[in-house]
Amino acid sequence: MGSVAIFRVTQINATAPSDSELIARTLGGDGGAFGLLVDRFQRKIYRVAYAIVRNEVEADTVTQDTFIQAYTHLAKFQGRSEFETWLTRIAINRSRDSLRRRRFVSLFTGGDDERPPEGWIEPVDDRPDPEREIMAHQLRAAIEKAQSTLSTQQKLIFRLRHYEDRSLEEIAGLLGLRSGTVRAHLFRAIHKIRKELAEWVTAREDSSNETL
Amino acid sequence: MKHFSEAELLETYYMQPSEASAIIEHVNGCNDCQDRYRRLAQKLRDVAACPTEKPDTFWTRQRLMIMRAVDNARAQSQRNMRTARVAAAAFLAFVLGGAVVYKSVEPQLKTQPAIVAPAPVASTDDLKVPADPWQSDELKDFGSVVQWETWGESKL
Repeated sequence: MGSVAIFRVTQINATAPSDSELIARTLGGDGGAFGLLVDRFQRKIYRVAYAIVRNEVEADTVTQDTFIQAYTHLAKFQGRSEFETWLTRIAINRSRDSLRRRRFVSLFTGGDDERPPEGWIEPVDDRPDPEREIMAHQLRAAIEKAQSTLSTQQKLIFRLRHYEDRSLEEIAGLLGLRSGTVRAHLFRAIHKIRKELAEWVTAREDSSNETL
Repeated sequence: MKHFSEAELLETYYMQPSEASAIIEHVNGCNDCQDRYRRLAQKLRDVAACPTEKPDTFWTRQRLMIMRAVDNARAQSQRNMRTARVAAAAFLAFVLGGAVVYKSVEPQLKTQPAIVAPAPVASTDDLKVPADPWQSDELKDFGSVVQWETWGESKL
C-alpha cells in the first residue's frame, strides 16, 4: 500500500514538465505552458512582493507585472540561473520601483503611508496568551515604524532579510550587489531599528515591572 | 561573565556573524543567553510571518488577469510583426520596382556623345586685327562714344 503511494507521487513528479520545458513550449507559442509557470510560482512571487511593499494591492499588482514582464522578455532568459531566481529578481525590481514611487508621492502629499498609526494595537482575540500577542503586535509595530526611517535600498535589504529570511549571500545575488555592500546596508538599517526598538524594550520592561 | 543585551542579540540574528565571532561563541556556551536568543529569534520570526494565505479564488483571479495581459501582449506582438512584414515587403517592392524602372529607362538616359565635325581651321592670314581696338568693326555703331574716348585719351 505504502509503496503504491510512493510510486504514485514519483510518477506525478516525473510527469510534471520542468521549467525549461515549459519555457521552450511558451516560446514556441503555447500560451497554456506559461499558465502552468504562473500557477507554479505566483504564490512565491506574491510573497516576495508583499514582503517588500507591505501592501496587498500593490503586491498583487507587482506579481502581475512581474509575470507580464517575464513573458515579454522570456526570449532573453538564458537559463544561467533558475527561472525562479530570475522571476524573483524581476519581482524585487518592480517592488523597489513601487517603493520609490511611494516615497516620491509622499514628498508631495507630506504623508508617510508606511508609518503605522500611533498607539496601533490590533484587537485582542481569545487566543491562549493575549499578553504575548499584544507584545508581538507592539514589536511588529515598532519594526514597521523603524523602517519608515530607512532608505529604499536599506528597506529592501532589511525586508528581504526579515520577512523572507534570505541569507546575506542570497540577497547579494538577487540584487546584484557584493556581499560586503549588503552587509553594510543591513548594518545601518539594524542600527536604526535597534534605536527604535530600544524604546519598545524599555516600555516593555517598565510594564513588566509594574505587573510584578 | 558578560551577557549580551537584547539589542546585541537582535543584531546577531540579522547579521549572521560567523561561528567564530565572540557573541556566537558566548551564546553557544551560555544557557541564559541561548534561551534569550531563541526566544527573540522566535518572536522575530512570528512577527515577520507574511499573511499570504489567500483563498483559491484570489490566485485564480490573479492568474486570469496575468493570462489576459499575456494574450494582449502576444496579440500586440503579432500585430507589430505583421506590420513590420508588410512594411518590409512594401520597401522591398519599392526598391525592386525602382531598380526595374531604372534599368528600363537607363539606355535612354545614356546619350551618345555628339560627334562634332572638326571646324575648318582658319589660316592665321585671314585674321585681321586692327592695330587700334577702338577702330574694330564691332564698335563701329558706337562711333561717337569711341571718338569721345579717343579724345579723352589724347587729352591725357
